[in-house]
Amino acid sequence: MRSTRQRFSFLVPYLLLAPGLLWLAIFYIYPGFQMFLTSFWTGTLETGFALTWNVDTYGKSLTQFGPQFLRSITYAGAATVLTFLISFPLAYTIAFKGGRYKNVLLFLVIAPFFTSFLLRTLSWALILGDDGIVLGPLKSIGLVGDDFRLLATPLAVVSGITYNFLAFMTLPIYVSLEKVDKRLVEAAEDLYAGPWRPGGAIWGAVVGFLIGALLALAFGYEPIVLGPLGAVAGALIGWFLISQAFLRVTLPLALPGVFAGTLLTFIPAAGDYVNAELLGNPSTRMIGNVIQGRFLTLNDYPTAAALSFLLMAGILIAVAVYARLLGTEELTAA
Amino acid sequence: MTDRSAPEKHGISRRQFVQASTMAGFAAFLAACGTKGTGGSTAPSEAAATTAPSVTGVPSASAAASATPKPSPSTVLNFANWPLYIDTDAKVNTKHKTLEDFTAKYGTKVEYKEVINDNDAFFGTIKPVLEQGQDTGWDLMVLTDWMAGRVIRLGWAEAMDLGNMPNKVANLKDVYLNVDFDPTNDHHAPWQSGMTGLGFDSAKTGDLTSLAVLWDPKYKGKTDYLTEMRDAVGLTLLKLGKDPSQATRADCDAAIAEIKTAVDGGIVRAFKGNDYAVDLVKGDVILAMAWSGDIVQKQLEKASLKFVVADEGGMLWTDNLMIPKGAQHKYTAELFIDFYYTPAIAAQVEAYVNYICPIKGAQEVLLAAQPDIANNPLIFPTDATLAKLKIFKSLTEADETYFNTQFQAVSGA
Repeated sequence: MRSTRQRFSFLVPYLLLAPGLLWLAIFYIYPGFQMFLTSFWTGTLETGFALTWNVDTYGKSLTQFGPQFLRSITYAGAATVLTFLISFPLAYTIAFKGGRYKNVLLFLVIAPFFTSFLLRTLSWALILGDDGIVLGPLKSIGLVGDDFRLLATPLAVVSGITYNFLAFMTLPIYVSLEKVDKRLVEAAEDLYAGPWRPGGAIWGAVVGFLIGALLALAFGYEPIVLGPLGAVAGALIGWFLISQAFLRVTLPLALPGVFAGTLLTFIPAAGDYVNAELLGNPSTRMIGNVIQGRFLTLNDYPTAAALSFLLMAGILIAVAVYARLLGTEELTAA
Repeated sequence: MTDRSAPEKHGISRRQFVQASTMAGFAAFLAACGTKGTGGSTAPSEAAATTAPSVTGVPSASAAASATPKPSPSTVLNFANWPLYIDTDAKVNTKHKTLEDFTAKYGTKVEYKEVINDNDAFFGTIKPVLEQGQDTGWDLMVLTDWMAGRVIRLGWAEAMDLGNMPNKVANLKDVYLNVDFDPTNDHHAPWQSGMTGLGFDSAKTGDLTSLAVLWDPKYKGKTDYLTEMRDAVGLTLLKLGKDPSQATRADCDAAIAEIKTAVDGGIVRAFKGNDYAVDLVKGDVILAMAWSGDIVQKQLEKASLKFVVADEGGMLWTDNLMIPKGAQHKYTAELFIDFYYTPAIAAQVEAYVNYICPIKGAQEVLLAAQPDIANNPLIFPTDATLAKLKIFKSLTEADETYFNTQFQAVSGA
């Protein structure tokens, strides 16, 4: 018995891997390969498609839909930054100050997921409507003009993405922060890693200004307002909230979570089309909308497949660069 | 029309609608994956089961159609239609009085399935089967003009034996006769029509009569256009004084350029399917390219909404009953179409559906029972209105791709 078990024990890891590999092969590798072939088809739905290894589709797709690619990356990037800005303090509070309410708070983070993704997005359309509960009162007291709108703007699209992917950022950061040994923070504080004050304020102002200005650019607003606003907020946060201990101990230990959260948010957000469809306008269309239109309306499967591959390639490159910048150690640790 | 949802007062919610269209999209995606497949697998599963017990020695309805002895009706009829597109019981939503009447008359059980949410998606499910020369499992399906044209062009629609259909011959309104995709009138039978025109909140805009308002900076960011190419481009062509039933590529280019000015000027808030109607009710837009049936429904929620066929004209589109090639119960399908073309039956369907009835005599039947419906000019348009409506030209596949690609580009995707 024992010898038989030993003889076959080398199989165990493979057997354990088998379900996952099989799943991947059937639902990812095979369809991916099919799609790869599809991108080299020529023809039409009525006359039938044929595999002709036509590579022109790629060039055409890239030149024709450059703006939508750029927009997808910009919106997904802006949403990722926003989810990070919202998630980090949230995860930090739950991990360090949550106490006995930790589980309740975590549940609240996940609670929206009990409702359908589409319903949540449609609710945003209701909330942000021109006479909705946000703008209605603001308009009636004259704080914003009658022509002002939130819905059908880039801001609405990015807000929708941010909201829909928030938990994907919060949870990994929480997991990393939860694992941080509090005694390390105490030790750092004992070693004079106290409040950062002026340094924090200066750095906070710089980072805040950049984030504010870049977000303004992504939304198509003037950076003159949001930039300084970000600078002030950043300076205040840097002065009052950021300590050396946080900067040198907590934050580095949380990076694996940040890394994982960023990927989990950015990658699906770049391919998203629902938010742009329901909350956007004709000039906020993302690459996902193009792919959807090509597949379903124009029956142009080759272009849709080529666009999907280009999107995949673009994301891979972006992630590779990002992983390189943040260091490979964190990759494996995440 | 892609994305046409069902009347909201009968209990469909936006959520259901969006889910339905998402499912349709998913189905189309699956269908797309199956282009190279062997077919058969996408045939509606229940059809295989239900078509088997064909009745009393009718060998095959299609084979028997030309034979002299009249075949008898089959035990079942497989009918694919759009959601909430037939009279439906207020309590039991699978109960349809007209279908029960048909069963009572002919002994045929109608397997009525609301499986069509999108012309393209449904086409994706029947295409691989028809390509293989196999039976789709459906005896009747309802497709919009342009898709009907495509199916006929591909030879995938059975020619009906009009000898079995005296009501259809007698009661189809003249405006529907001799369409270019079916000059012999025996491959399709109009089920319901709708008009495309201006929908607006008259409390905000006053009365509008010209399509030019769709380009008016006064309504900047407060105007929705339709995602349906034939409607958006059709109305634009009418605004430009061109005839959508004769549209050329040059006309298309002109229309697209015209739409582009509205998009670039920020006048178009969004290109929408049925959701424009929701935007109108919410007040996010006050003007839209609109479908008559939607506005009839939404007037219940917001009385100030109006639908107008503009002076320049409007579009008329029709969803048509068709018998797919190789249907198992062709003769019974013909009987059903003829049954529907009885004014009393069509009137019952109309009282529920609220689009435009293509059948002569239905209005007279309703005048007695439900005069509010019979007198609604959006459900029974006057001859003067009908004369202003145009049916979009049937496009060749190459032209259709051209038009659609241009339109997709201008609508942002």
